[in-house]
Amino acid sequence: MPLDPAVLEREFPEFEFIPERGKIREFALALGLEDPVHFDVEAARAAGFDDLLAPPTFTRQFWHENEENDPMVHLGYDPKRRLHGEQEFEYHKPLVAGMALRGRNVIASTREKEGRRGGKMTFVVIETRFTDENGELVQVARRTLIETAAPPKEAEKE
Amino acid sequence: MTYKAGGPLPEIVKAPVTKVQFVMYAGASGDFNPIHTDDEAARERGLSGVIAHGMLSMAFLGQLAESAFEAGSVRKLEVNFRGMISPGDVITLRGHVAEILDVDGRPLARCEIEAVNGKGDVVTKGTVEAWMG
Repeated sequence: MPLDPAVLEREFPEFEFIPERGKIREFALALGLEDPVHFDVEAARAAGFDDLLAPPTFTRQFWHENEENDPMVHLGYDPKRRLHGEQEFEYHKPLVAGMALRGRNVIASTREKEGRRGGKMTFVVIETRFTDENGELVQVARRTLIETAAPPKEAEKE
Repeated sequence: MTYKAGGPLPEIVKAPVTKVQFVMYAGASGDFNPIHTDDEAARERGLSGVIAHGMLSMAFLGQLAESAFEAGSVRKLEVNFRGMISPGDVITLRGHVAEILDVDGRPLARCEIEAVNGKGDVVTKGTVEAWMG
């Protein structure tokens, strides 16, 4: 299915993102991290951070919050053909527990490409910018979502 | 930390990944796609069983970046997802410094990094940029 053009016109409202200590510890634990800057507030402060430091991919956690706000669910992609092809994070300031961040999603770019087995592949890059209480940029995330020409199973049969 | 262009980053070998870890990561990240936690749902999608979240492998590469440099010194992390990780896989995280850039007098290391499974397949590959001072 081609990309629903209405999604490109859509405005995605700003949302709140407050990284909590418990959520940072839970995330770090799931990864098997050991660096105390993610677990122990005193250690984080001794290392020069105001509070527990979020691991580098932590803002992934906001994707499920406030789904109406996530461009992914409005692309009209067939979930069976949807791939998360690439991911990028750009860091401007340390992201620590207790910050009151604001996030905003935009569709940064779209393109189509001929698939290797025929049919069109659609690429969409969703960019999320997080700013702090002073409006300063903290982090930018870019997610490349691909809709493949055919579901992987059928493609393999060809 | 200081590196020279071409030099390796200290390698990390993760403990074998487990189904419990996929459940923990699902809860921590909010990604409840059942192909990561429910074998039956994974099989319906043509997989032989649950697979790790791609973002878990990226998070592992974030660990490589934070341990090779200092926590908080990473400027950019980007990856593309190439392969799947299954329960029991031992993931090795490795990389090398591709070049050292001078950004307004501050040294920035640009490194090529990858997560490799037990069979030697690269499952996730990308680059990291981190400040060295």
